[in-house]
Amino acid sequence: MHLNSNLIFHNLADGVFLLDETGRITNCNAAASAITGFEESEIEGKPFYTIGDGQDDPIKYRYELDQARKKNKFVAEGWKLRKDRTRYWAETSYSPVYDESEQLAGFCVLVRDISEQKERQSDLLESEERYRLMVEAVRDYSIFMLDPEGNVLTWNDGGMLIHGYAESEILGKHFSIFYPSADQLDEKPKKKLHVARDEGSYREEGWRVKKDGSLFWASVVLTALFNDRNALIGYSKVTSDLTGRLKDEEVLRQSEARYRSLVEQVGDYGIFMLDTKGRIISWNEGARRIKGYSAEDVIGKYFSIFYPEEDIINGKPAWELKVARATGKYEEEGWRLRKDGSRFWANIVITAVYDTEGRLSGFSKVTRDLTERKMSEQALQESSDKYRQLVAELSVTNSELSSVNRELEQFTAIVSHDLKEPVRTVRSFLHLMDQHVGQQKFDLLKSSIGKGVLAAQRMHDLIDNLLHYSQISKIGLQRQKLRVEEVIGEAIQNLNDAVEQSGAQIRVESDVSFIYGDRVQLVQLFQNLLANALKFTNGNSPEVTVKSWMENGNVRFVVEDNGIGISPDHLEKIFEIFRRLHFAHQYPGYGVGLAVCKKVVERHRGTIWAESVQGKGASFHILLPKI
Amino acid sequence: MRTFRLAIVENDEDERFFMSEAFKASGEFEILGEFGNGDQLTDWLHGSPKQLPELVLSDLNMPGKNGYDIIDELKITHPGIAVFATSTSSVLTTREKCIRAGAKDFIAKPDIFIAYDSFVTEFYQLACRYLGG
Repeated sequence: MHLNSNLIFHNLADGVFLLDETGRITNCNAAASAITGFEESEIEGKPFYTIGDGQDDPIKYRYELDQARKKNKFVAEGWKLRKDRTRYWAETSYSPVYDESEQLAGFCVLVRDISEQKERQSDLLESEERYRLMVEAVRDYSIFMLDPEGNVLTWNDGGMLIHGYAESEILGKHFSIFYPSADQLDEKPKKKLHVARDEGSYREEGWRVKKDGSLFWASVVLTALFNDRNALIGYSKVTSDLTGRLKDEEVLRQSEARYRSLVEQVGDYGIFMLDTKGRIISWNEGARRIKGYSAEDVIGKYFSIFYPEEDIINGKPAWELKVARATGKYEEEGWRLRKDGSRFWANIVITAVYDTEGRLSGFSKVTRDLTERKMSEQALQESSDKYRQLVAELSVTNSELSSVNRELEQFTAIVSHDLKEPVRTVRSFLHLMDQHVGQQKFDLLKSSIGKGVLAAQRMHDLIDNLLHYSQISKIGLQRQKLRVEEVIGEAIQNLNDAVEQSGAQIRVESDVSFIYGDRVQLVQLFQNLLANALKFTNGNSPEVTVKSWMENGNVRFVVEDNGIGISPDHLEKIFEIFRRLHFAHQYPGYGVGLAVCKKVVERHRGTIWAESVQGKGASFHILLPKI
Repeated sequence: MRTFRLAIVENDEDERFFMSEAFKASGEFEILGEFGNGDQLTDWLHGSPKQLPELVLSDLNMPGKNGYDIIDELKITHPGIAVFATSTSSVLTTREKCIRAGAKDFIAKPDIFIAYDSFVTEFYQLACRYLGG
């Protein structure tokens, strides 16, 4: 078997077409038929574009053939249609063929179906494209590629937002323009590329410069990229702007600083922190002022140094922390100690402080010095008490003055009425007698003289009684323990004559043995009451009973008689001085006796009143305090 | 010239005698009754006398019902009778007290009871003023 050219032609694995000099197909091999689906006989003599992309584009084929002639070889890639109209990606190589006389005889065209290869390529492209789009769309990070020298190869939206450069401005530029000039002088960018190359990647946080010259705090990751042959092909650089985070931290720091300085400068409140054990970990101006310790004095000390000894012995500081821990808060007022040992009255609030995970991280303690307030409260209380006392005293004095004033008024009335009357009567009779004498009516003189003498006598008696009455209120009480029987007995004894004359029966039924009071005045009291009982009768022999018993801690006396009684209209009036219910010729008297009784009882802080059923006797009731 | 029907209340008999003598002498008053205290006056009034007095002249200081009691009582039982109070007192508060209680007026007694002439003249003028001449 001979290896001739015809044989080779037909057995070549690549499809071969032979064209004449005008580009018509003269013949093709089996491989070409297999690729295109056309039998040789079907396409013989047809232009080559018959097996083209179905567009029947003679101009393009002419051009390709011309190129092949000019360059001696021309390769084109593109879609072609098989006979069954399916597509395949063809690589077409044109070679001109010349005869011996160097005249163009035709073309040899090699056609290869490289669809599979092309598809792999296009998948790769698609995937790369997806990544590119993804990277380009990232806005929060600047992500770009550098070539091995550090020039920018790619750019994304994040890069534009963070660095401020548009893609067209930055591509091809060296990445050192992102660094501050000091870093550039240090050759920092170059050093960092070396680190990334040697160690695979380099990360840091630092200041970077934007296009407008402003600085931002950047987090940077530089990663060296190697190809499958382990050759450095460049770097990827991912940059994020941390200024925002930094700002938040700064705001927090400033806010903390503000609070700290606020707390530190508060002067009226002692505000400080304790750790969980009760040791002092912060101190403020107010605490210094109130307690006298400087921060250096107390930081680290147990807070019990502010407590008096007895509180410490009683374990009070620890107990307070326990309460604060259990209930969240402990509040009280009490004495605390200053550095110099002096006491101050403190209002304190201990609050348990928890961290974000809810663990006890210590206690805050707020102390106020209430000493001055307490003092002024106390002073206020004292002065208020004093005023109240003063008011009470004034009230007593006032009522005493009122009563003295009333007595004075009464006295004025008495002097103007009762004492003036007899004087006037005496004067009147003297004038009358003068008339008698002038008219020589001497026989009338006797009666006028008699009446004048009586009036003078009456005035004398009135003055005596008035003095007696006024003395009761002037002389001090001689309080002593007195036997009731003796007091009443003495009163009866003093009335001996009247008792005998009237034939009176006086019974004493005393359940009470002793009373406290002024002997002379109480004897006078019973004497006056008994004298009235003997005097105001209808001519029957008087029957008088004196009784006494205890009643709600008071002594009740009753003097009861069987006399004429008192009309209800007069039951109260009878105690007024010089008040008389009867004419002197019926029942003689001066209207002083019961006024004296009332005065005596009132001086013994008691009460007196009369009860009577007209015509059936009267009873006088006295309530005296036992002591 | 009109005369007034009068009742006199005065506990001192001598005083009352000279008083009524003076009233009678004036001819300006018709004395319907003379009483020793308020009890006697009211007893008489309650006994439905033929004629009621237009005026009562009452002493203040008397045993039993005194001048103040009379003022109080007649104000209710006989509001048509004008009560005039009299007393030896010349203290201003006494006058005020009487008028406040309901007396038409108060006239102080003369220094001596044998000199009631000017008292009667004054009383007549007061009576005319209050009751009409």
